[in-house]
This record gives sequence, C-alpha cells and structure tokens, in this order.
Amino acid sequence: MRCREVEALWDDIREGMPPLRAAVHSHLRACQNCQDLYEQYEGVAYCLSCLPQPEPSCDLAKRVIEHIATLQQKYRSTPIVLTWVQTRLGRIYVGYKGTRIAFIGLDRGDGPDKVREQIEHRLHRHVDKGQTPDWLGKVFDDYFKTWRVDEDTVDISDLTPFEQEALKAAARIPPGEVRSYAWVAQTIGRPKAARAVGQAMARNPLPLFFPCHRVVDSTGALHNYGYGIEMKARILTMEGYRPQR
Amino acid sequence: MTALAPLLREYWVPAPAQQKKAVKRVGAPGVDRFDTIVDEYERRLYGFALRMTGNREDAEEIVQDAFVRAYRALAKMSPEQRAELRLQPWLYTITLNVTRNRLRGKRPTNVALDSLADPDALLRGSRHDGPAQPEKILEQNADMALVERALLQLPMHLRAAATLRFIEGRSHPEIAEILNQPIGTVKSHVHRAVRILRRILGPQIGRVVPEGATVHAMS
Repeated sequence: MRCREVEALWDDIREGMPPLRAAVHSHLRACQNCQDLYEQYEGVAYCLSCLPQPEPSCDLAKRVIEHIATLQQKYRSTPIVLTWVQTRLGRIYVGYKGTRIAFIGLDRGDGPDKVREQIEHRLHRHVDKGQTPDWLGKVFDDYFKTWRVDEDTVDISDLTPFEQEALKAAARIPPGEVRSYAWVAQTIGRPKAARAVGQAMARNPLPLFFPCHRVVDSTGALHNYGYGIEMKARILTMEGYRPQR
Repeated sequence: MTALAPLLREYWVPAPAQQKKAVKRVGAPGVDRFDTIVDEYERRLYGFALRMTGNREDAEEIVQDAFVRAYRALAKMSPEQRAELRLQPWLYTITLNVTRNRLRGKRPTNVALDSLADPDALLRGSRHDGPAQPEKILEQNADMALVERALLQLPMHLRAAATLRFIEGRSHPEIAEILNQPIGTVKSHVHRAVRILRRILGPQIGRVVPEGATVHAMS
C-alpha cells in the first residue's frame, strides 16, 4: 500500500474494517512519516471529540414549544374566509381575514376545494368557505381603476419579513412599468438576493395587489408568471405597459 | 528508521453512532408529541449550531428556527412520509440549512471565543480527567478555546463535515445523508478538514492531548 492510499483510510479504520485495518497498520509500522502524520490526525480527532457539550439557555426548549404553540393558535384563531368575485380578468378567488385580503388567486378551473388547500398550504391557516362582503367588490373596482391597492385592505403578516419587504418593494413599481428582480433586491438592501426575490414573487399570495407581474428579468424579458407568461403580458398591457424593442 | 517503528498511540474517540440508532420513527406531530422531539434534540442541535457559528445567540436562534421549520414540514407530511422519515439526520440537515442561510453574507465570526469553552463542563469532569485542579482546568479551558477557534477557521463545508464526524460522532453514511453528498465527498471533506486543523493546531496538539489519553496501543 502506498502512503496516499493509507492516508485515505485513516478515518475508515476507526469504524472497523479488519482486512484494510491490518494493511494500514502494517504500512504505518514501516513508514515513520505516515506514522507521525497519523498520530497528528488521531490527535486532531481526539481534540475535537473532547470539546465539552455546550449547554443552551435553560429556557430554550420552553421558548421553542411556546413559539410553536403560538403558531398553532394562530392557525386556529383567525380563519381565512374563502369566496370569489367576478372581474375583468374573470373569476378571482379571494381569501380574507376580518376586513383584509390575505390571498387572491385567478380561477384556473381548479375549484374552491383546491384553492382552499393552496391557501392552507401557503399561509398555514384554517380556511372556511363564506359570503362575499360588499367591501370586497369595491376593493377590486378601485384596483382595476387605479392598478393600485390601499395597503389597509391587505394582510401579508403571515409571510416572512423578507417576503413582505420584497412584495412592498414590488408595490412601489408604478403601473405600466417593469423592474428587474435585481432592482427589487437592491431596493430592499439585499443586492445579492435577486433569486430569493424571484422565489418571493413566485410565492406571492396576493398577485395583482402586490404586482409581481411588474417584475421581469434583467434583460427586460417577462421571464415567468404563475398564471402563464401570456397572462403577465395581458395584465401589463391592460396597465399601459409597452415593451421596448 | 529502526527495524520496527515504535507503536502508535491511539486516542479514545467516541465511536460513530450506529446506523440503527439513528432511525427514529415519528408519529403525527402535535405540540404534545413535538415537545418530546424538542427535548430530545435541543442540546444536540444547539451544540452543532454553536460549533458552526461560534456564537451562542446565533446558535439559539438557529435552533429555534430549525424546530419551527421542522414542525411546519412535519405538519404537511402524509402519515406515510412521516413513517419513512429518518428524524435525526433530517433535523441536522434543517439546522445546517438554517445556519447556512444565516451565515450567508455574514463575515466569518471573530467573536471572543474564549467565552465558548465552558469551565463548568470541565469542572463536571470530562471523559478522561481525574480529580479537577483549578490551574489544570484553566489550562484545559484555554486549550479547548484553541481547538474551537481552529474549527471556526475552516470553510463552512469542511467545518460541517468535521463537526458531524468527530464532535457529533456521526458515521460517514449518516453525514452523507445530512449533507446530501456522496460518501466519497464526505470522506474527502473530513480528511481535508483534519489536514487544515493539523496545520493550524500544529505542535499544540501534543499539549492539548493529555498523556493519560492513550487507551490502547496498536496491536
């Protein structure tokens, strides 16, 4: 056996591989250099194994359990009510919490049960089917007039802080204009997070209201959209966007 | 070289955990069941996160975040998926991912690591030492801080491999599963980590390792 081959087996022989172990040992006996290195190797392993087991704060487990209990309580406390409204873009499913909208989804023919699953999966909240309150129609009427939404009518508190920031940055893009994922990343002070911004846009529970359709790739290509790239182009055109050629 | 080189020293290093032991089956999670998971793994995951970050506050936040993610993921799994789940490696993987996300973009830690080595742990008596003497404890504590500092100088992927292998005592196949890497890559990372640590610790290894650590010579 050569020195290199033996060195590659040092860690293996600790787990017990009798035939190779004998071969490694016989090489080590004959090779002073390998013997010195092996001793150092074992020394390093020993040093690491001797590091004391660190103790977390005594209340860490309690804090974890309490945090999870809060999440569970949240899931059960304010359910999301699922309904739908008819708009210029066809039927739109809407999930609202109290007087704020937490989810919207264009109808893809999935049916309300499938949409309910999607919301539960995305927002970790219980979803009930319900009525369409009057204020909901007004929010959509206003939106399709101005292409903007009043922030008091939406709720993104179930999202991560990063997702919230990315969506709020996207909401600053004027209707009929587009910006890149990198621009959004830059705007929220995370210039290297363009891909993460892409993820946040893809998981946006409030498309249209938080206009992920106005976020495109750095070349100006529309890139992608949950409802298809044609829908992205259609919404942008409705807003007055004219692609530069 | 003499005809027969001197016998080698072998140190007592905990044997890697057996594969069988690592297989944990879990049932449907609820706070009542999940707290047993938290109790069982909290210290281990904290230790791992601390070795990876070198910072107690970061490590605690990482553990908290990892458990929340685990809880959410378990809640979404079907009973079949949960029955198939190998809990321990999976929890390590989540902890590592949270650690990576947290450390990404952060500069390597340069906090005062002397505070890391826990004098109380040494006072309680580790595996090898006899009756504790104050000056001995101080010296050992300084040595442990030295080792901790050396570990933190490794690139993250090598640090993870070395920590899982020698501190957490995981086997190669288990580490491969945790890191989602082929076993050959794991072995090579462990080896490279030790090479670098050997270079960093150098002559101090002999000082850190007590004479009494020789458990059995090579036969």
